[in-house]
Amino acid sequence: MPLSQKDVAGIADYARIALTGDELQEMTAYMNEAVELLKPITEYDLDGVEPTFHPIGDLSNVMGGDVVDASVRALPIDVALKNAGSSEGRYFRVPSILGTEEGDR
Amino acid sequence: MANFDQLSAAQIAAGVRAGDFSATEVARASLDAVDAREPQVQAFLEVSADLALKAAERTDQARARGEELGPLAGVPCAFKDNMHLVGTHTTCASRMLENYESTFTATCVQRMLDAGATPIGKANMDEFAFGSSTESSAFHRTNNPWDTTRVPGGSSGGSAAAVASGEVTVSLGSDTGGSIRQPASLCGVVGMKPTYGAVSRYGVVAFGSSLDQVGPFGRRVEDVALAMNALVSPGRDPFDSTSQDCPIDFLEHLEDPIAGKRVGIVPQLMEVQGLTDEVRDAVNGAARALEDQGAQVVEVDLPNIASAISAYYVIAPCEAFSNLARFDGVRYGYQEQGCATLAEQTSLSRAHGFGEEAKRRQMLGAYLLSSGVYDTYYYPAQQVRTLITQDYERAYEKCDVILMPAAPRTAFKFGELSDPTQMYASDMFTISNNIVGNGGVSVPLGLGRDSGLPVSAQLQGPAFRDRMLLQFARSIERAYDASGIVAPDFAGKGGDLA
Repeated sequence: MPLSQKDVAGIADYARIALTGDELQEMTAYMNEAVELLKPITEYDLDGVEPTFHPIGDLSNVMGGDVVDASVRALPIDVALKNAGSSEGRYFRVPSILGTEEGDR
Repeated sequence: MANFDQLSAAQIAAGVRAGDFSATEVARASLDAVDAREPQVQAFLEVSADLALKAAERTDQARARGEELGPLAGVPCAFKDNMHLVGTHTTCASRMLENYESTFTATCVQRMLDAGATPIGKANMDEFAFGSSTESSAFHRTNNPWDTTRVPGGSSGGSAAAVASGEVTVSLGSDTGGSIRQPASLCGVVGMKPTYGAVSRYGVVAFGSSLDQVGPFGRRVEDVALAMNALVSPGRDPFDSTSQDCPIDFLEHLEDPIAGKRVGIVPQLMEVQGLTDEVRDAVNGAARALEDQGAQVVEVDLPNIASAISAYYVIAPCEAFSNLARFDGVRYGYQEQGCATLAEQTSLSRAHGFGEEAKRRQMLGAYLLSSGVYDTYYYPAQQVRTLITQDYERAYEKCDVILMPAAPRTAFKFGELSDPTQMYASDMFTISNNIVGNGGVSVPLGLGRDSGLPVSAQLQGPAFRDRMLLQFARSIERAYDASGIVAPDFAGKGGDLA
């Protein structure tokens, strides 16, 4: 079943990409065309085939102690903040994270 | 004296070492060529003249002190604009990162600089590397130096065009589905995607983390081999957990004959829809050229190869969606002003910062990773990836390398492939190698008999046999006398070594 504009609006919300009405229409057409391109994947009998998530098979997480290591390249605060759209002192500044009701700001 | 665009990387480094010319003179020649050629080519998003001259001066001072110079001493180099280099912006050709200043230097860039290369600037690309024509750059198009009414390919189109026009000697690009090999083919230069893990991805803005690999462009196989040596030294990068030790001297055996080695041809791929006659015939000609040098041509089968493009357009958008989630408009990147909530700021920053194709890929990835859909596409795509990997393993029992086209056709006109999914087919010959993680190289075969534009062959090989790929590429280069060619409209324009 093809994706509806409502489906695509839901995906846009999840992906945090605000789309205008026109964009939503174009995006819906694209998504349906792109998903059609993927069809061969659904036509395989893949019983017993292991997935390959990565070309290097034996990867494992790299763990480290919670200690400051001088050899690790941590950005100084001024460098870390220099590309931020909004900052205050040592911090990134963001609008309200909880809601828009009176008093939240 | 000669124009610097006629010199190989090794000749430049040797000339600087011998004192025939200084690194500063070469840097000035390259910047002069950029001035003269760039109005028609537009390969660069940023020209880093100050950094270039400072790096060249350091090289010249090191020589004056009697120090040993690196193998790329004084060699002008461009970097794709998804690679961090302190002192430049890293925009990924996106409004999202228009004002982003590099906060550190990528390992691949640093290794080129450590080998003595001179950083001429940052090259144009498809936005976040989503594309095959460099048309999705948010800033400007890049013109193919062989015909400026045509695209250079992509996504590393600026890196390819800067080398093809002779503005620089070598450049770096990144290849997620063909983004080095396809533009190399369209611009008539050598372009290598090394085996996944051979080159560190640290400091390269991520697109598809299990697919991305950095590699060099050059006008000679030897130049690419020299750059590869710099990129893999001194071993694995502790800042990229997927980086592997690759202790290979790519210059060793480069000139060795290929007699007795086996070249695989996949008959199914040579008949695929969309492949033009001139490209097919040129690649068959390359097979004969290798046969003439004593190689044996054998037919091999890759039965699941036709599904590679489908698997890729599941895996790549999913990884892209995951990677590009970091662009939240808070820590860096475009930030929408005057929003009441963080959620609104995020959604509008992403809506107005990303271009159309970047939004399409992320939307597709978001959908494919959503509950229920994951089991229909994402998981099966990774199973098909296993089948394709097994196909290659079986093929390499019968042959040493596989020869095929790098791109189905020569450079196309701007706007010609306006439908996104039509554009995706540009990578039909390159994508499977990213899925399995193997190396591949594009090598020029001269001009197509119908279009008069550059045509290339692609050589693919087993994991970490990248040196052998370059040995085969060198054999083709020798047969076609295709070494060191600058696009004729630009050769010698600015860039004389005084």
